[in-house]
Amino acid sequence: MAILVRRSNLLAPITDTERVNQAWQSDADAITLDLEDGVVETRKAEARGLVKEAIALAGQGGAEVFVRVNAALLHADLDASVWPGICGIMLPRVASAAEVAEAVEQMTALERRRGLAAGALELIVLLESARGVWDIRSIVTASPRITQVGLDESDLACDLGITPLPEYDPHVYARGRLVIEATAAKVQPIGITYPLGVHPRRLSAAEIHRMSTGARNLGMKGVLCPDPRWVAPVNAAFTPTADLVAYNKRVREVFAGAVAAGTAAVPLDGRMIDVPVDEWAKVVLAMADACDARDAQKRAARAMPALAPLQGH
Amino acid sequence: MATHQVHRSGLTMPVVTRRFVDHAWRRGCDFINLDLEDSVPQHLKAHARGLIKDAIPVVRKGGAEAFTRINHDYVHADLDAIVWPGLSKVNYPKAETAEEIRLLDAVITRLERERGIRPGTVEIGANIETATGVAAAYDIASASPRVKEFGGGTGYDMSRDLGVEMFVGFEQFAYGKGELELAARALGLEVRAAPFVANTTGSVSDADRAFREAQAARKCGFRLGGGLNPAVVEPQNRGFTPTAEEVEDARWVLERHRELSRTGDMWIAIDGRVIDRYEAARARDTLEWAALCAERDREKAEAVLRTRAAMAEPAPPTSGDS
Repeated sequence: MAILVRRSNLLAPITDTERVNQAWQSDADAITLDLEDGVVETRKAEARGLVKEAIALAGQGGAEVFVRVNAALLHADLDASVWPGICGIMLPRVASAAEVAEAVEQMTALERRRGLAAGALELIVLLESARGVWDIRSIVTASPRITQVGLDESDLACDLGITPLPEYDPHVYARGRLVIEATAAKVQPIGITYPLGVHPRRLSAAEIHRMSTGARNLGMKGVLCPDPRWVAPVNAAFTPTADLVAYNKRVREVFAGAVAAGTAAVPLDGRMIDVPVDEWAKVVLAMADACDARDAQKRAARAMPALAPLQGH
Repeated sequence: MATHQVHRSGLTMPVVTRRFVDHAWRRGCDFINLDLEDSVPQHLKAHARGLIKDAIPVVRKGGAEAFTRINHDYVHADLDAIVWPGLSKVNYPKAETAEEIRLLDAVITRLERERGIRPGTVEIGANIETATGVAAAYDIASASPRVKEFGGGTGYDMSRDLGVEMFVGFEQFAYGKGELELAARALGLEVRAAPFVANTTGSVSDADRAFREAQAARKCGFRLGGGLNPAVVEPQNRGFTPTAEEVEDARWVLERHRELSRTGDMWIAIDGRVIDRYEAARARDTLEWAALCAERDREKAEAVLRTRAAMAEPAPPTSGDS
């Protein structure tokens, strides 16, 4: 099965022309044009009118393009977002499978009307309530369109009645449940280490890299990036390093040698190499290849002549 | 409350590696886990199966219980080859559904009947090594009365399933371990778990670490050990067994608590230490566990003596036996 490489997903508020114009140069694996929290209440209708033109612009660097809709304005937002060129919809504030089904029904109709292949559009769902976290299993299995699921940690804290302190992580259980249930459903869990999910802020690239590595070590497969400066360290954190690739090639060699000699358990540098270690080595090497391929795709797309930027409003 | 079996230490070994199997009885383990799964190369699976029946009495010569870890994908062939008198447990890897456990139970029940084994003798160890397994933890643990110990949710397979590099820390396992432990406690099963003493080195032969981990686990109420290298057996036996001082202290607590019932008080503080019914229950647990450990150690010592005597009679001892 092909590996989905969506390490970084850069949020660009659709009404922020400069951000939308620059997003494609960021090397993000995905770009999400935001109609929701990044757009003030009074500009929602205007924002909808900007989506169609922004899609091609956001996608010209090879990023997958998503649109984050408002749960409360679902129909109008979906109607404004489903155009050729988008990869899917980011659906926030999901608390039940019924909400997923409602979005899917309209997406299916729009695919037909706008000439997209049936079932082509993906869904990234965000859980923001205790109800959503508790019912995650029925939510992530509600549609095969769902490829990623994350928590909106600040809204979740709000729902739980918590004012989060940076030194105490209130979402250990929710994050653990997210990773287990998503993985069991073959959906990618996404997120970053506490407290960045709750308090996104400017940090050095090294800090972002460290916290993304922490997220990867929890089982997360990517990070929603509120700032283009997050993209490079996030991509790096989710890409196997050259050292790791070299080590795992060695594991495969040593293990193959052991099997030829009649055992499937052999020591290497004080560790025991057996079937699961060799299986993991395959995963790492396949992931490294998939990341390389994805990066090459984006490089090729960026080498094409650029589209004209959108005019400011 | 579970009746505790004594499984402080045990070695998992490929049944195809003859020298491991032959020497297993000398290691002082509470159990030996003969592996048909990950440490046996694919092309040797059939050969390995054929070795289990004879290996069972060999690894029990030192008083250890004999377990076998089968392959998730070869349940029928593996069970048919391993359920023989002397086998205590089948470890089933990558358990994901209650249905799988019920199937194991049915096959084992039939084989016990056919082979003259007392019904219910062979336990099932349901190893949870995937996210799907964690998600179905309670159903799996309650699928058969043969499941008596339950837990896990860590390790290489789990890391791989989560897409996490092994030996980076243990936070990725916190939720799964918690779910499994809750399921086990709710069902009154022995919990296979450990506190987070993160072994991020990947070393399987560090005796000091094994001792510290066993000691820490026991203090958190866990009693099950096991490993891959003979160097960790003695430290685990020691770490999971209450020390003489702890036994002494438990007796002292119970004595003070008995005095309380005479005066009618609920609790008393002696030098800042509270003695109440919770402390008394804990002390009783310690004494009970210490007695079980002592009994198990006696059994093993007797088995070793018997084996040595039997070896000495017909032929002179080979080098390395003493």
